[in-house]
Amino acid sequence: MPILPRSLSARFSTAVAAAAATALLASGCSPAEPETSQSPVSGGHLVYATGDAEPTCLDPHVGGNYPQALVSTQYLEPLVSLNKEGEIIPWLATDWKESKDGLSWTITVRDDVHFTDGVKLNAKAVQANIEHLKDPATGSSTGYLALEKVTGTEIVDEDTIRINLSEPDSALLESLSQPWLAIQSPKALKRSKEKNCQSPVGTGPFKVADWDKQNSITLVRNEDYNSPPADAAHQGPAYLEKITWRFIPDSASRYAALQSGEVDVIDNVQPDTINAARDNESIEHLNAPRPGASNRIELNSGKPPFNDPLVREAFVHSANVNAAISSLFFDTAERSYSPLSSVEELGYSAPDLFTYNPEKANKLLDKAGWDQRDEQGYRVKNGKRLSLKFPVSTNQSIPAEISLFEQIQATAKKVGFDVNLELMDLSSWYGALAANEYNLVSAPYTKVGPDVLRILYHSDGIKPAPSGYFANLSQLDDPKLDKLLTEAGRETDPKRRAELYEKAQKIILNGYYILPLYDQQNHFLHRSNVEGFRALPTVSTPTFYDTWLSQ
Amino acid sequence: MAAARWLLFKALGAVFVLWAVTTLIFFGIRMIPGDPAEAILGGPGSQASAEALAQVRADYGLDEPLLVQYFMQLGRLLQGDLGDSYSMQVPVSSLLAEQLPPTLVLAFLALVLAWVVALALASWSMLSGRGAAVISSGLEIAGAAVPHFWLATVLIVVFSVNLGWLPPVNTGGVDGLVLPVVTLALPLAGFLGQVMRESMLNAATSPFALSARFRGETERGVLFRHSLRHAAIPGIALSGWAFGSLISGAVVVETIFARPGLGRTLLRAVTDRDIPLVTGVALVAALAYVVVMALSDIAERLADPRVAKR
Repeated sequence: MPILPRSLSARFSTAVAAAAATALLASGCSPAEPETSQSPVSGGHLVYATGDAEPTCLDPHVGGNYPQALVSTQYLEPLVSLNKEGEIIPWLATDWKESKDGLSWTITVRDDVHFTDGVKLNAKAVQANIEHLKDPATGSSTGYLALEKVTGTEIVDEDTIRINLSEPDSALLESLSQPWLAIQSPKALKRSKEKNCQSPVGTGPFKVADWDKQNSITLVRNEDYNSPPADAAHQGPAYLEKITWRFIPDSASRYAALQSGEVDVIDNVQPDTINAARDNESIEHLNAPRPGASNRIELNSGKPPFNDPLVREAFVHSANVNAAISSLFFDTAERSYSPLSSVEELGYSAPDLFTYNPEKANKLLDKAGWDQRDEQGYRVKNGKRLSLKFPVSTNQSIPAEISLFEQIQATAKKVGFDVNLELMDLSSWYGALAANEYNLVSAPYTKVGPDVLRILYHSDGIKPAPSGYFANLSQLDDPKLDKLLTEAGRETDPKRRAELYEKAQKIILNGYYILPLYDQQNHFLHRSNVEGFRALPTVSTPTFYDTWLSQ
Repeated sequence: MAAARWLLFKALGAVFVLWAVTTLIFFGIRMIPGDPAEAILGGPGSQASAEALAQVRADYGLDEPLLVQYFMQLGRLLQGDLGDSYSMQVPVSSLLAEQLPPTLVLAFLALVLAWVVALALASWSMLSGRGAAVISSGLEIAGAAVPHFWLATVLIVVFSVNLGWLPPVNTGGVDGLVLPVVTLALPLAGFLGQVMRESMLNAATSPFALSARFRGETERGVLFRHSLRHAAIPGIALSGWAFGSLISGAVVVETIFARPGLGRTLLRAVTDRDIPLVTGVALVAALAYVVVMALSDIAERLADPRVAKR
C-alpha cells in the first residue's frame, strides 16, 4: 500500500475515479465493469450485512437453510463445485467415477489439505461427514434429503471413498456441491452439538473466530489455506484479513449502512433499493439468481376448482404478470416461463402458454360451467362462488412480490376469480399448507440441478413428511411424469437426461399446474472498492476468497 | 411495620405476576400454529425425518401430555432453570445474560433523556408565556403520536444518510447509541411532558404557590422550588409504566438499528416458536417491570410523603 496520509489518498482516489468516469462517459462505455489497473492487495477488513435470519447453528449439516449456507460458504467447503456453465468441477475432491451399474461412486479427495484444527482431510473424514448427515441426532434436513439414496460408504484407500446407493443417482454430484453437505473436521464433529454449532471447523479460506449473538460473526483468514475450487481467480490464502458478518434485519437500515460506508456489502436488496442505488457511483450491484426452481405460483390441482384443467388455464390467462413485474420490480427481475431457474442449464421455457388474455380466460370459464356471475361480478357455479385461497408468507415474499400478488388478484377479478390473499407468518403458512387450506401458493425451493423437479412434482411429494410438510404443492399426480422424473434421476448420460427433463417440464407447463414468475431473486449491493466479489455458481452464496479492497 | 407489610405485599404480587406470565405464555404460544420439534430442527417447514423428530420430541419431553410439560416447566423454573433455547441450542440464562444489558442501557438512557426533554419543555412553557405553552404542547402531542419505526427511519435518513453525522446501525460505540435512544425517548417525552405541564400549571395556581409569591418569591423561584417537585410526582408514577413501554419499544428499535438486545431476542423467539426463550425473555421483562414499579413507588413516597398514607 502506498504510504499517503489517509485524507490525501482518499482525495487522490476520488480524483482518479472521477477522471475514469469522465473517460468512460466520453468513450460511451457503460461503467458496468470499472477497469482497475491495481493488482489485488492483501489485508483489510470487510463488513458484510445480511438481511437473512441469524442462523441458529453455524454448522449447515444441522437443519440446513439458506442463512447457514450464506455464512458457511466462507469457512466450509464441499467436495465439488460447479462452473458458470453448470459443469461439475473439482474442489476438495479431485476425481469421481460412477460404477457401471450406477450403484456406487468412487470419489478421491486431495491429499494435501488440512482442516483448520490441524486434522488432515482424507477418505475417513468424508465418511464421518456422511455419517454425521445421516445421523438422526444431527437433525439434518437438507443434507439428509440430498443423501436419500446413499446406503453406506466404504474406505478404498487413504484418499478414496466409495459411496453406495440404493439406486442410480444422477444428481449425487450436484447434491454434494451444496454448502449443506460441506466437509468438516471429523475431530470437531465429535464435540457436542452445541460446540459444533458455535464454531464449526472446515477447510475454508476463513475460520469462525467469534459469534456475538444478534450482532455479528467474526471470521478471520485461514493463513494455511490451499484448497480453492477449480474456478477461483487465485491460489493461496484469501486477501482479506477479516470479515465481520453482521445481522441487520431492516432493509432500509441495511442500505443506509452501506451508503454511509459502515458496511461494504449487503444482501437481500429490495427492487426499490436497487433502483435507488443505480444513481450512486460508489455502489455496485450483483445479481445472482438462485438455482433450483423458479419463483412460481402453484395451482393446487388436488382439489376444486383447480382439479379442472380449464379453470387452471383460465386463471393463468387472467393474470397480467408482465405489467406488474415491470412496474413493481423496476426492471430488476426478468419474467420466467419455466419451472426451473434460468441458471439451470436444463431449464425449458414456454412463453406462449402464459399470455395475458382475459377474453380467452372468460371463454374457458364459461366452458368449465362457471358461467354465472353474482352481484359483485364473481363467477358462480351451483350457487358456489369461484373463490381461491392464497396464503402468503411474509417471511418469504418480499413487499414487491406481495404487491404483485395483489395485482394478479385485481386482474383475475375482472374475469370473475375471487382471490383471497392471506398474509401470515412462516409457521402459520406451513400450517395452512399442511391442512390443504390453499388453492394458490408461492414457495421458493433452492437446490442445485434439475432433480428439484422430482422433489416438487413427483406424486411422492404429495405425501406429507412427518412434520406435515410436503413439497409437491400443485399436488401434481401424473404417473407419466413420475416415470420421467424417476428415469431422469437415474440417467447419467447427459443428452438423454436433458431430453427426459425437457419432456417432464412440458407436462408441468402444458398442464397449467404452475404460473412461473421470475428467478428466485438474490441481489447484492457492494461499495465499489470491493473487488473480485462473486457468488458461487452452486447455490449463489457469496464467496470472499478472491475479494480485496482497493483504495 | 407498615413498610414491611407493604414489602411483603409487593413481593407476593411479583411472584403472582411471574407465575401468570409463565402460564399465559406456555399455553398462548401453543395456540399459534407451529411445532416446537420443528423449531428445534431448523425452523418451520423443516423437512426433518421422522427419526429426527422422534428423537427431538423424546429429548425435550415434547411427547408428554401438555399439562405434564407445563408442570415440568414450572418445576424447572422453581429451581431457577430456564432451560435450553430450542432454536439456539444454548441455555436461556446465558442468552439472557448476554442480551439484557444492552436493552437496559438503552431503556435507561431513553428514560433519562425523556425526563430531561419533558422537564425542559414543561418549564419553558411555564416561564415563557402562552406562545411557548402552545408550541411545547404541540411538540408533546406530535412526539407522543409518532410511532417508533417511522421516527427511526426519519432520523436515519436525516442524520445518517443526508448529514452523515451518526451511524445508522449499532457500532458498539457511543455514537451508535444516539439515534436509538432519541427514537425511544421522544414519544415518551411527549407523554411525560403533557402530564408534567398539567401538574405544574395546577401547582402554579395553587395556594402554596400563591403564598410563596406573597412572600416575594420570583416566578422562577416558584417553579424551581415548588412546582417542579409537584410536577415530578405524576412523572415518577408514570416512569414505571414508561419503562415497560421502553422494553416493548426496544423490539422495534433494536431491529431497525440492528442492536443486540432483549427486544430482538423476543421477536426472533416468537417467530421460531422457541418456548423456553420466549418464557425467559418475558420473565425477565416482567421482573424488570416489577422492580422498576417498586422503585418508582419508593421514589414517589420520598417525593410526596402523603402517598405512603394512602
